[in-house]
Amino acid sequence: MSHTPDGVGGLSFDGSGRSLPAEAGVAIALVLIVLAFELLGRLLMHDSFLLNTRDNVPGLFNQARLQIIILQVSIIGIIALGVTQVILTGGIDLSSGSVVGMTAMIAMSFAQVGEINGLPNTRAVFHDRGWVDLPVIIPVVIGLLCGIACGLINGLLIAYTRIPPFIATLGLMVSARGVAKWWTQGQPVSFPTPGYAAIGAGMMPVIIFTCLAILFHLIMKYTVYGKHTYAIGSNEAAARMSGIDVAGHKVLVYTIAGLLGGIAAIVLSAKNLTAQAGMGVMYELDAIAMAVIGGISLSGGRGTILGTVLGALIFGVIISGFTFLRLDAYYQEMVKGAIIVGAVVLDQWRQRRSASRF
Amino acid sequence: MKNLLLSTAMVVGMAGGASAETVGVSMALFDDNFLTVLRNGIQEIAKGMEGVDVQIEDAQNDVARQLDQINNFIASGVDAIIVNPVDTSATQAMTDAASAAGVPLVFVNRQPVNVDTLPDNQAFVGSDEAESGTLETIQVCELLNAAGKTEANVYVLMGELSNQAAVQRTKDIHDVMDSGKCKVTLNIIDEQTANWQRDEAQNLMTNWLSAGTPFDAVISNNDEMAIGAIQAMKASGLKMEDVIVAGVDATRDALQAMAAGDLDVTVFQDAAGQGSGALDAALKLAKGEAVEQKVMVPFQLVTPENMVDFAESN
Repeated sequence: MSHTPDGVGGLSFDGSGRSLPAEAGVAIALVLIVLAFELLGRLLMHDSFLLNTRDNVPGLFNQARLQIIILQVSIIGIIALGVTQVILTGGIDLSSGSVVGMTAMIAMSFAQVGEINGLPNTRAVFHDRGWVDLPVIIPVVIGLLCGIACGLINGLLIAYTRIPPFIATLGLMVSARGVAKWWTQGQPVSFPTPGYAAIGAGMMPVIIFTCLAILFHLIMKYTVYGKHTYAIGSNEAAARMSGIDVAGHKVLVYTIAGLLGGIAAIVLSAKNLTAQAGMGVMYELDAIAMAVIGGISLSGGRGTILGTVLGALIFGVIISGFTFLRLDAYYQEMVKGAIIVGAVVLDQWRQRRSASRF
Repeated sequence: MKNLLLSTAMVVGMAGGASAETVGVSMALFDDNFLTVLRNGIQEIAKGMEGVDVQIEDAQNDVARQLDQINNFIASGVDAIIVNPVDTSATQAMTDAASAAGVPLVFVNRQPVNVDTLPDNQAFVGSDEAESGTLETIQVCELLNAAGKTEANVYVLMGELSNQAAVQRTKDIHDVMDSGKCKVTLNIIDEQTANWQRDEAQNLMTNWLSAGTPFDAVISNNDEMAIGAIQAMKASGLKMEDVIVAGVDATRDALQAMAAGDLDVTVFQDAAGQGSGALDAALKLAKGEAVEQKVMVPFQLVTPENMVDFAESN
């Protein structure tokens, strides 16, 4: 029970108390964290975190730092967009990091050049078959199909065998990593064609992430797909009774998450000009953390894509901020973990407070 | 004890004569480039030999899993075991398990903590990790000195902090600075981990660049991170001839970067040599022959002048 201007216990509708959406809290946290780094920077480093303090580069802001803040989270951010939709249905996806590793290996092996410095690239995976210097569309389509296949396996397992999403995606997390290592017996796959490399060059990962984020924000907000996703996550039984094909819809959600994992793998391998079996380890947990920090409820049905994007930005600001302050590497992980837990505790507290208004 | 060993060796030797020799191999992890070369080195040599079977397992960087694998090898009656330890301080239990069962054991690449007290039928084949970071750092000093500098700002990229090689190579840098072997005064602006990964190093370097502090060299614990740093510097328009970049491993990607004039220093660790050396020792021990208990395969400095010699090595 709380006292509101409109009466004890908020029995009457209190419009002012409900006007702030969940994302506003995350956005405020983002601003506060930036300000904290700005303040600590002035005190400890005698430098600004976001403002430009150099004479040899123009502009009000430190452009390079603004760029890296987004760039370093855009690839995991792409995964987080899919993970967000999965969590909204009340599920979880632990396989995305391994799917990224596997897809990167497979896609990259169709994107290799035939010659390096005028010498034949004999260690290209498909050198013997002559599948080198292929048009960029081939590795991209193969990578996307790979991601879709993984998502489909997750979705079918969860929807039709009814095993918990945690177990189903844990299975693929282990198996997909196995495929990634088996594909070339652990050898890295490097030297992509210029066309493939262009997908990850410069700020391309940010552009791709931004486009996908806007696309899925609109989809979740304005389409039947989005409404059904929220409905299933809020109350699965009610969703089923109201005629939603819950099983079919879950397959679709996991498939989309797989597809986004595939896109992330292509961008990641193109950005790094290499694919390695160990790529993407722990990405699934970073993606889940971004969603959770962004206010996505792990019990499903609550949160938005915008929240996840803000969560990703908080992640990026923290990484850059730590490096900016030259915080000892050993402390960085400790602090990062505390921030993740702290964000969820704050969110729970905020939720309970808003719930007590009714 | 010696009698027991001798009789075990004879039994093993006889069994080996009757059928194929089986060698169980437990690798710390499969998805590490250097260890993959080592693992393939073992496999290829075994393939070329008559009657030698190797069974390779992936310990996935888990100490407990590795010990289980060794016990499983013993239970299935292998003739010898090769272990690439996940954690070099956890090797005593492995030594005990193998020696209790009388199965020869060879540690490869990472030096076990009990290397000086190994029983007769156990050995270590590897390199002295302290060499790699030392060779790397001294060469960076030479290059900076040749460029006419007396003082230099450097960034240090560290591997996984829980990994001994990362800790040792970073320590080597500090040791060289303190020992006076460096002709220039190195000033470390910052040292951070990028977990051996190219992508993380790329992001970390970009973060460093955004601070705008002038620097002369980047010293990395491995080549993958050095390449990540190079990609970040190139993306921000830095001229690579103005910066010294050094790594360790002499991977194929690294030699390519060296050929392009981006990477200045790397250090070659003979992975295939270590793999074949370990297999050789394991087979000899299985036959009851004596082997040298500590075989050191030296690191070699790789620079643009001698890089062609290493083109087909890794």
